[in-house]
Amino acid sequence: MSNPLLSAYPHQARVWDEMFQDGRVRPEYQPFVSAIAGLAGPEMTRKDELAKKLFMSQGITFTVYSSGEGIEKIFPFDIIPRIISNSEWLRIEAGIKQRLKALNIFLKDIYHQQFIIKDGVVPAALVYSCPQFLREMVNVDVPHDVYTHIAGVDLIRDHDGEFYVLEDNLRTPSGVSYMLENRSITYRIFPDLLPQSNVLPVKDYPDILYRNLVALADRQTADPTVVLLSPGIYNSAYFEHSTLARLMGIQLVEGRDLIVHNHFVYMKTTRGLEKVDVIYRRVDDEFLDPLVFRPDSALGVPGLYWAARKGNVAIVNAMGNGVADDKAVYCYVPEMIRYYLNEEPILKNVPTYQLENAEYRELVFKDMDQMVVKRTNESGGYGMLIGSAATDAEMADFRQAILSDPRSFIAQPIISLSSTPCYLDGKLQPRRIDLRPFALCGPGGIDIVPGGLTRVALREGSLIVNSSQGGGSKDTWVLGG
Amino acid sequence: MLSRVADTIYWLGRYMERTQALLQTLRIQYIASQDEPQYWGWQPLLLAFGDLSEAELARRAPHTPQVLYHLVFDRENGASAYHNIVRGRENARAVQDHITKEVWQSLNDYYHLIRRDEVAHLTLGEDPVSGLDALLQQGVLYVGTVQNTMPRDEGYIYLKLGKFLERALQTLELLRLSQHLFEQPGEVHSPELRYLLFGLLGYELYVKTYQGQLDAGSVLELVLYNPDFPHSLRYSLGQLLRYCERLKDKSRPESFEQLRFLIGKARNTVAYSTLRAQPGVALGPFLSQVKGELLDVSSALSSLYFGG
Repeated sequence: MSNPLLSAYPHQARVWDEMFQDGRVRPEYQPFVSAIAGLAGPEMTRKDELAKKLFMSQGITFTVYSSGEGIEKIFPFDIIPRIISNSEWLRIEAGIKQRLKALNIFLKDIYHQQFIIKDGVVPAALVYSCPQFLREMVNVDVPHDVYTHIAGVDLIRDHDGEFYVLEDNLRTPSGVSYMLENRSITYRIFPDLLPQSNVLPVKDYPDILYRNLVALADRQTADPTVVLLSPGIYNSAYFEHSTLARLMGIQLVEGRDLIVHNHFVYMKTTRGLEKVDVIYRRVDDEFLDPLVFRPDSALGVPGLYWAARKGNVAIVNAMGNGVADDKAVYCYVPEMIRYYLNEEPILKNVPTYQLENAEYRELVFKDMDQMVVKRTNESGGYGMLIGSAATDAEMADFRQAILSDPRSFIAQPIISLSSTPCYLDGKLQPRRIDLRPFALCGPGGIDIVPGGLTRVALREGSLIVNSSQGGGSKDTWVLGG
Repeated sequence: MLSRVADTIYWLGRYMERTQALLQTLRIQYIASQDEPQYWGWQPLLLAFGDLSEAELARRAPHTPQVLYHLVFDRENGASAYHNIVRGRENARAVQDHITKEVWQSLNDYYHLIRRDEVAHLTLGEDPVSGLDALLQQGVLYVGTVQNTMPRDEGYIYLKLGKFLERALQTLELLRLSQHLFEQPGEVHSPELRYLLFGLLGYELYVKTYQGQLDAGSVLELVLYNPDFPHSLRYSLGQLLRYCERLKDKSRPESFEQLRFLIGKARNTVAYSTLRAQPGVALGPFLSQVKGELLDVSSALSSLYFGG
């Protein structure tokens, strides 16, 4: 390794590094490493600056609102891609498809006959105590029996190189626009490198999504209208909403643009009312319909639930999915796969302790400094405690909270998360990452675009990759076979 | 098209046109304030574009940097260029899927430009003309990007309706500020006339058309009636009617008929008037009448098309 950037890269014990193995570059990274071998520090810095400038000028930013004025922040992007070999990808792909197939059947089952509860595989108490289990969805049929149209499954890799599923985000997972934008920045800062390395494209995502959405419309409608329902410009993922709407060529609507009349949904246009057939909503369940869920919601549409229930509009993802990505229900996903599909899970779960169980609770309290404790219904890196980095007072607070409501907490051993080189302050430094591939389920089956969003914990030593907690992202390359 | 989207795009057009008009007027007024021994002061402009109390206005008016700050960069002033650009960009963000990526980027760049300290430093300290030029240039870039990249669909029509309605209103406002020039007895050769033309980007056309001395009558004729002058009232109203016609198959028939009626009425009020510069001429009532008719157009758009 002649390049000083590479030779100065520190080795970490008991951490899987994506680029290096025993001081040598892994085969999937070799074309990339030889392409940047001739680039000295200043050239890399220039590329890094160029990437930042491109993000800023394209408005690929988060807006943090304070004192009435938006402050623009770039979603931090690291220019060194994360590379996955073809064989590894095929396994990930098969594992996610298997998991989603089972989860989709689980949702259909849990809202209809509930065989899985009757057969004693999943405890009834667990399902009924989940706040995301919507009684309003019981015995409601959804088009083509598809619930999990868009899923963002979070994967992490332990020190032995094994992939584990951390979460199955089945409600309104975000980040896919960053996957698309990261790729479009990479081919500008590293010309020719993508075709030379035989990287599989991610650009088909909007087309597949649109195809699936249209397929959900009532078959009697010749030219169905598909819209994307967003909470509006103040939502932190608004950039993604507008990007997806633009790429699919569909209307981006807000709750106030829609109206329900006679159990049909219409949008208010300059020509009067126009019927809507499919809604890809990025508004949470509880805000969707103030007549059924939260009455104070101004983001939803009064009457939407009944329009969907009558089959006059398709809502994507289906309402009530939260019960399947509850962190306590998560423990049962391997069992679901065995029960519904009669297969062994391809991807492993992170060992998880439900703290409702007194024995587990004791065990976790004893070794709290080696555990991650999470609230079952929160995401985005909120409501969690990483034992190794927590103070005694924080641990005491969590103990208190767990004892007063044990159903709402789970604990997992700290998984070390694999690391990968990031170009920070003119040096290559190891940072921890995860991977969120995006899977699309339609009436025709499940599609996963090769890649996904690799999130990086940019703070040194940190294990939290969420953007709300100082995380960034990288382009993710899956190599062709 | 969604009513909310149409409304947002229409206002995007208005904000951006308003910004250009304000910056161009400021640029010319600043030059006048440097080059004209008998400069008439910033007060009228501050009254038209600012939101200061009378005492504050009198205090700031003699200090050019303070005036420029208030009208260009002041975040507290709801009518400043900064505020217009921020609102224009917010609107663009809300309808990102109806404008092209290039248009969004040019607005985003505009926003980042006016927030840059160097631009404020240049405009308020070093050389205001260069600072204002930098901003104006970004505005022109936006106009060109719209022209070159936007599909000629419904969104484009609302953008243009907003633009020309705002332009007509701005021309009326500048005429109102200069009303006294057209009501004086005898031939008037006030230097203010020259700056009025510069402010409307019409000086060169005037010189070519009238080839002689500046007189109030000819200036009024150019600004009101010249069909080739893109800032004349007649031109703006003609464009407004043109884009309105294109809405015909995109509207409910009764909405379209009413909108066309109101725009046609305003245009005919201008086209069939015979105003000349002379003492006691009814310029003031005429300007108020046209303004009232344009505001009717604006509220008709809002109630018939934007669900207001």
